[in-house]
Amino acid sequence: MAATIVARGNVSGLENKDFETLAVPLLDGLYNFARWLSGDADEARDLVQETFVKSLKGFSSFREGTNFRAWMYRILRNTFLTSRTGLERRNTQQEDEEGLAEISISQETPEVTLIRRANTELVQAAIAQLAPAFREVVLLADLEEMKYQEIAEALDIPIGTVMSRLARARKQLREYIIAVPDQRRIVGAK
Amino acid sequence: MKSCEWQNKIGLYVDGELEPAEEQAFAGHLQSCAECSAAALEQQELKKAVRVAAKRFSAPPELYASVRRQISPKESTRPWLRWSAIMASIALLAVVSFAWLSRPSAPSTTVAQLIDQHVIMLASVNPYDVISQDPHTVKPWFQGKVPFTFNPAVPADSRFKLLGGKLVYAQRSPGAELVYQVRQHKISVFIFQARDVHGQASDSNLAFTVNGWQQRGLQYYIVTDAAREDADQLRALLEDANRS
Repeated sequence: MAATIVARGNVSGLENKDFETLAVPLLDGLYNFARWLSGDADEARDLVQETFVKSLKGFSSFREGTNFRAWMYRILRNTFLTSRTGLERRNTQQEDEEGLAEISISQETPEVTLIRRANTELVQAAIAQLAPAFREVVLLADLEEMKYQEIAEALDIPIGTVMSRLARARKQLREYIIAVPDQRRIVGAK
Repeated sequence: MKSCEWQNKIGLYVDGELEPAEEQAFAGHLQSCAECSAAALEQQELKKAVRVAAKRFSAPPELYASVRRQISPKESTRPWLRWSAIMASIALLAVVSFAWLSRPSAPSTTVAQLIDQHVIMLASVNPYDVISQDPHTVKPWFQGKVPFTFNPAVPADSRFKLLGGKLVYAQRSPGAELVYQVRQHKISVFIFQARDVHGQASDSNLAFTVNGWQQRGLQYYIVTDAAREDADQLRALLEDANRS
């Protein structure tokens, strides 16, 4: 039964008619991801549409046993990277790849309280200021709850790079959030 | 300051990426290391905050429609195939009209309406009439608005979280829409009087999972893009809650 196929896991023995069943539930997440990548509603719509057309075309070559969701995100991201905004980003962005960032934590952490009290807008601003390469890895890990392996497949980077980017991204998020003066936080805001 | 050997594992622990044995060892370590436990807590809070804040944009409903148009099978150009398709459509139309006329609330219409409602809720900036995770707030809100009562409570330790509720109409009858969350997925549960709104929910409705059942004179439908097992589980919990 087509409807029982779970889009999140690995899939096998698929036919074209299964594509819609698998792909449409991912649409909302893909759109959100595309908005964060491109920063533009129209461009995000185009990216999503192009992703669906490309992935349907390539569905017959979709390898059994690989992760469908990671595959879709990979197509979306590659589509974005070849778009105008994406090319600009590639030309201007110098990613520095280092090992795992050092995590320095003091014994007492009023930071935990500060993070808890951060309102949605503040956290969104923190995500927005991340370099795109860090932003996408955080979105896939924390929002899409992808495993590192899935993220590595989606972004076409080694798993070690996933970990180092994630660590650095979180460090930057944390620093951004705790550096904001208290009056900008709305206590108890959703 | 001598840094703890576990420090590099904190992210892995928070992301659930440690091997079971290592995870257990780390959890044990957290009991004794204030530094690591504070850091792990902080990362957990950060992850939670990001999860909430990052779900910022919802795909507009028309994007669903245009994507579906794009990916649905193309019409054949061979004339005999086209003719047979037209003949088949006429036959289907006759069958559907018969079914429609002999039964005022054709199931496919009801389910399609409810899927629409669900999509509208997902896209809306004001998805709920009553926002509360507390069933004792949500339930009384429907008093006087719908001519029946129900129990929206699911066990607190279940994976499902009540988000709120909304008054909806189907087949010109009032009903309740309850919205639950599981992982990142929203689930709509629609409740109507079974004599007003009924009909079988089929398995594959535009890739949404739809699960319908009747209980004590009420018709329930679950509509979600979450996995079928999630819908089955929520159904079992609601059936339990509304049994007595």
